[in-house]
Amino acid sequence: MTMAQASHARAVPMHDPFRIGGFSLVAGKFSFLLPFVVLVAIWWTIKIAFDLDDRVLVAPPDVLGALWTLFSRGILADYAATSLYAIAVAIIFSACVGVPLGFAVGANKYVARSLDLFLRFFQGVSGISWLPLAIIWFGFSDTTILVIVVYTLVVPVIFNTMVGVRAIPREYALSLQTLGASRLRVVRDVYLPGALPSILVGLRLGMGYGWRALIAAEMLVRQGGLGDLIFGARTFGQIDRIIGGMIVIGVLYIIVDRLIVQPIESLTFERWGVLRK
Amino acid sequence: MTPTVQGDKIVVENFQHIFDSADGPIEATGRVDLTIPAGQFVTLVGPSGCGKTTLLKAIAGFIDPTHGRILCDGAPVTGPGRDRGVVFQELAILPWRTVRRNIAHGLEIARAPRQEIDATVKRLIELTGLVGFEDRYPHELSGGMKQRVAVARTWAADPDVILMDEPFAAVDAMTRLTLQEELASLSYQTKKTVFFITHSVDEAVFLADRVLVMSRRPGTIKASIEVPRRTPGGRDWESFTTDTDMQAIVEKVLRLVREEKTAHKKDSAPVALEAAG
Repeated sequence: MTMAQASHARAVPMHDPFRIGGFSLVAGKFSFLLPFVVLVAIWWTIKIAFDLDDRVLVAPPDVLGALWTLFSRGILADYAATSLYAIAVAIIFSACVGVPLGFAVGANKYVARSLDLFLRFFQGVSGISWLPLAIIWFGFSDTTILVIVVYTLVVPVIFNTMVGVRAIPREYALSLQTLGASRLRVVRDVYLPGALPSILVGLRLGMGYGWRALIAAEMLVRQGGLGDLIFGARTFGQIDRIIGGMIVIGVLYIIVDRLIVQPIESLTFERWGVLRK
Repeated sequence: MTPTVQGDKIVVENFQHIFDSADGPIEATGRVDLTIPAGQFVTLVGPSGCGKTTLLKAIAGFIDPTHGRILCDGAPVTGPGRDRGVVFQELAILPWRTVRRNIAHGLEIARAPRQEIDATVKRLIELTGLVGFEDRYPHELSGGMKQRVAVARTWAADPDVILMDEPFAAVDAMTRLTLQEELASLSYQTKKTVFFITHSVDEAVFLADRVLVMSRRPGTIKASIEVPRRTPGGRDWESFTTDTDMQAIVEKVLRLVREEKTAHKKDSAPVALEAAG
C-alpha cells in the first residue's frame, strides 16, 4: 500500500460496517438498538438450538407477556415505584449531605489529605457488605435499604466534590477577593460552579452504584422494590418475570441517567470546556 | 474612573518575609522599603526566585509579612481588597463565565447599577480589542485574548492600585508587543497606580515611570531608575526602540540585572532577559 492509499484509508470513516442499502443500524438514529437486537437474537437462538425447557430459559415473547401481565395488574408500577422512591430519596439526601461535606473536606487541604485514604477505604467497603450489620440494627425494613443505598451513594459524592473543590486553581478565589468578593460570594461564584462538573460526576457514579446496591438490598430485605420482585419470582421459577424485572431495572437506570443526569453534565462540560480537559 | 489621589499610594516599610520550611526558615525576600506615589507605573525586574512575587502578594494582601508592614493610602493592608486589583500570571478568569460576565464580575460584586456595568464593560471591551467576543467563553479564546480579558476585568472594577505579576509571560512575542502598548495607554489614560513584575528589561523600561531592580535572593531593591514619559497618551515600540535616551536606560537596567546574574554563577538558571524584545 502506498502512502497516499494509507492516508486515504485512514480518512474513510470506519464506523459503519453494518450499512445495508440505505438503512443502517449502526450510524442511524436507532443505532443504540443494534446490540440489544443482537443479544435477543442470541438468546432466542440458544433457546431454540438447545431446545431449553421453560424452567431454564424462556423465549423473548414470553418475557414480553410477563411484563404485560405485571404492568396491566399494576404490580410493576408498585414495585418500580418503591425502588425509584428509594433511589430518589437517597440521591437527594446524598446531595444535601455529601456536597457540603465534600466542600468542607476539600476546602481544607489538611483535612482533605487526612481523609483521602479514609474515603477510599470506604469506597472499597461496598454498601452490600454493610447489610448484615444494617439488618441487625434496623431489621428487614425500608430503613435498612435506605441506609445501604445512601451509604453507597454518599461516598462517591463526597469524594468527587472534594476532588472538584481541590482542583479549582487558587488564583480563581484570590482574584475574586481582589474584586471585593466576600467569602460567601467566592463560594457561590467560584467553588460551586468550579466543582459542579465533579459533583455531577459523583452523583452520576453514585446513582449507578446506589441503584445496584438498592436492587441487591431489596432481594435480601424483601420489603418491595424490583429486587424483591425478581427474587420473589425465583421462588416460583418464574423465569419470564425475572428477566422482565431485570429489563425494567436496566431501562429505568438508563432513563434516569440519559434523561436527567447526562444533559446537565454535557451542558456544563461543553460550555465550560477547559475544566474537563 | 475616579480621579487620582495625590500623595503616596503604597508604602512598604521595613518589609521582609521569611517562610518556615522543613529545612528551617527561608528568607523569601531581604529587607525592602518602597514608596509608590499615586498614579505612578512602577516595574520591578530581578532574577528568578528573588522574592518579586512575594512582595507583590504581600501588597495584594495574600500573605501576611513576617516583618514590617504595608500601607495603602496610609492604612495597613490586612487582606485582599478591591482597592488593589491583581492581574495574575496564571489567567485567573473564570472558565464558566463569558468574556462580558468576567469583565463585569467586579462591578456585579459591587452591586453597580445595570447601565453602569454595561457601559463600563462596553468601553473596556473596545479599549482591549475584544469587540465581537463578548459572549465567548475563555476556552474559545487565544492566550492573548484571555490576557486582555484578565486586564479588562481588573480595570473594570476600578481599583486605585493594580498589581501585575508577569501577566504577559505566556503570550507569544508579537501579541505581547501589542498588549504592552495597550497597557501603557490604558494605564496612562486612567492614571492608575501600577506595580508590575517582569523578567524582561525591555518590558520594564517600556511600561514604567520608574524601574526597580531587585537583587538575587533574598532580594532587596538595589536600584531605582526614573523613566521620563515622552508622550502622555501612551508609548509605542517603534519610537521606543529608536529613542536613544530610552535605549540608554534599557542598557543601564540590563547591566544592573546582569550583575546580579553573573555575580552568582550557581544561580544562573536561564532567565528570559529578552534584551532585544
